[in-house]
Amino acid sequence: MEARALKPVLGVYCAAFILFLYGPMIILAILSFQGPGGGPQFPIIEWSTYWYQHLLGMTPPGRISRLPIGDSLLRSLTLALMTTVVSTVLGVITAQGFRARFKASGIVFYLVILGMIVPGVLVGLGMALLTNMLGIDRSWWGTAFVLHVVYTFPFAFLVMLAIFNRFDRSVEEASLSLGVSPVQTFRRVTFPMIFPGVLSAMLFSFTLSYDEFSRTLFTSGRDLTLPLTIYGTFSVEIYPNIFAFGVLTTLFSFTLLLIYALLMLRAVRSAQSFKGQEEAE
Amino acid sequence: MLSLSSVTKRYGDVTALDRLSVNVPDDSYVSLLGASGSGKTTLLRVIAGFEEPDGGKVIYDGHRLDGVAPHRRGIGFVFQNFALFPHLSVADNVAFGLRYREEEPVTDPSELKARVADAIRLVGLEGLEARKVTAISGGQRQRVALARTLVTEPRFVLLDEPLGALDANLRERMCDELRAIRERLKVTFLHVTGSETEALLMGDVVAVLSAGSIAQVGPASSLFALPKSADVARHLNAYNVLSGRVVKGGFEGAGARFALPGKQAASDGAPIEVALRFDRISVRPAGATAADPAGEAAIRARFIASEFTGASVLSFFRLEDGTLIQVVAHLSGPAPQAFTKDELYELSFNPQDVIPFIERAA
Repeated sequence: MEARALKPVLGVYCAAFILFLYGPMIILAILSFQGPGGGPQFPIIEWSTYWYQHLLGMTPPGRISRLPIGDSLLRSLTLALMTTVVSTVLGVITAQGFRARFKASGIVFYLVILGMIVPGVLVGLGMALLTNMLGIDRSWWGTAFVLHVVYTFPFAFLVMLAIFNRFDRSVEEASLSLGVSPVQTFRRVTFPMIFPGVLSAMLFSFTLSYDEFSRTLFTSGRDLTLPLTIYGTFSVEIYPNIFAFGVLTTLFSFTLLLIYALLMLRAVRSAQSFKGQEEAE
Repeated sequence: MLSLSSVTKRYGDVTALDRLSVNVPDDSYVSLLGASGSGKTTLLRVIAGFEEPDGGKVIYDGHRLDGVAPHRRGIGFVFQNFALFPHLSVADNVAFGLRYREEEPVTDPSELKARVADAIRLVGLEGLEARKVTAISGGQRQRVALARTLVTEPRFVLLDEPLGALDANLRERMCDELRAIRERLKVTFLHVTGSETEALLMGDVVAVLSAGSIAQVGPASSLFALPKSADVARHLNAYNVLSGRVVKGGFEGAGARFALPGKQAASDGAPIEVALRFDRISVRPAGATAADPAGEAAIRARFIASEFTGASVLSFFRLEDGTLIQVVAHLSGPAPQAFTKDELYELSFNPQDVIPFIERAA
């Protein structure tokens, strides 16, 4: 087929696809600027930033209660950070371990991967039953945290495994041959070179944990995380303040992505090289 | 002195090193010649400690090296692909070992700077200190790799086809420089290569590695003049190897028959291989002269093709039994003949130039 005829078709298809992806988010963003008297639907009665002010507690108290998100937002962020650190460290260590072929490595591989395959509701429920049996209190920083790690660790692991797959071992051997210990070699050579992968693993872990719902539902105990709190408000009545919050949290996510992209750009620029050396072989 | 005795290394069913023994004297340039797959890289990796041998001993100055962690062996390694640290500058690559090594790291910044500067001067990279190692040429990377290793002052340096990634021009220059640098620092270089010219040019001593063990060790000139086995002769890429049988103290096979130099102890019918240098053969049209000059032997062969290599012409002939024969004609001599493809020619040589290998074939 001629590329000339194909191009506009592909363009339209691409535009439709992007609209499909971002449509819900755009609707949400538009509705967040609804006036004080309007509901969570079209038409927009009046354009205003009322619901943003409502969200931040800058409006006089009225009939509609504020979103109780302050504490749960803090909890979710803390939980996501804890999960990110633990999962990424575990992911890097495990992937490093997998560089040397060992007995039963296949089984261990699937055991790790299981954490992201098993349905979240089942794992959550299972954890709830287990803690009941053992008489352990459920909490977001305990039981839920464990499940978040079980869930995000395989992602971090897979990212790092892919990175190590393309890693040229001779660079580490060069460091060893210069008298540098294995620990220092990891710190001074391996880590700087796999850093872009570590960033990706962190991003995965953070975003997956931040909006995790099903596993948290049964295991977070009395204090709820952000997704649970928002879900809880749906059962009463929906106001556009949820949309306003959605916009803000999306902006937050984009900021994270931007930081990631900038860090990545720097890391890639400083480690470009690798390709050049392989070509020289 | 580094000595290996009966070192064996297997990968599954493949034996990469087969009871290999060799001594490498101090303050010498030893080149190790081997075809790809002969186990030469495995040998270096065993010495460096990246692989542990399945059997045998690696001893350096009376101490066992096998079992010692690679970073505690004090042996430098220059990699074929250079293996520079891509995230560091030229100067930081060179400083790496001094700065981070386990034993006696150099912490004084001025001393570090001075020693790095010395190493960079040694390999002639002044002015490139701040460059990324990705922003320099192949030859310069090779020098960084060398400086990075030499600055830590190992007494023993392993070089794994260090010139393999360079173009021919640069390779020759680096050869001279490697020799000069080694002589100045009085360290031992063990240089592994698949190129016979490089091995002969570089090494005070040349060792030929074949099928996982050392086939022959000796000074370059004597090794070249008198290979001990057909295998070594093949590695030198300067000998045709013919196989046949001993008949009445002479050689018979490949459509030829000639007396062998010296007395042959082998009995009639024993298998034998002989080596004949590319440049000891002369070619004339078949049947042109019936009479052989006194003592000359001749084989009939069909001409296949010629290669012009600059200073000489390399011609390929095929014997009736399929053996390929190469003939070198140096252009400094009389103008080379032009041969016709698929024509029969007579290849004549002096049987005294033939090197027989009886034990090997038996």
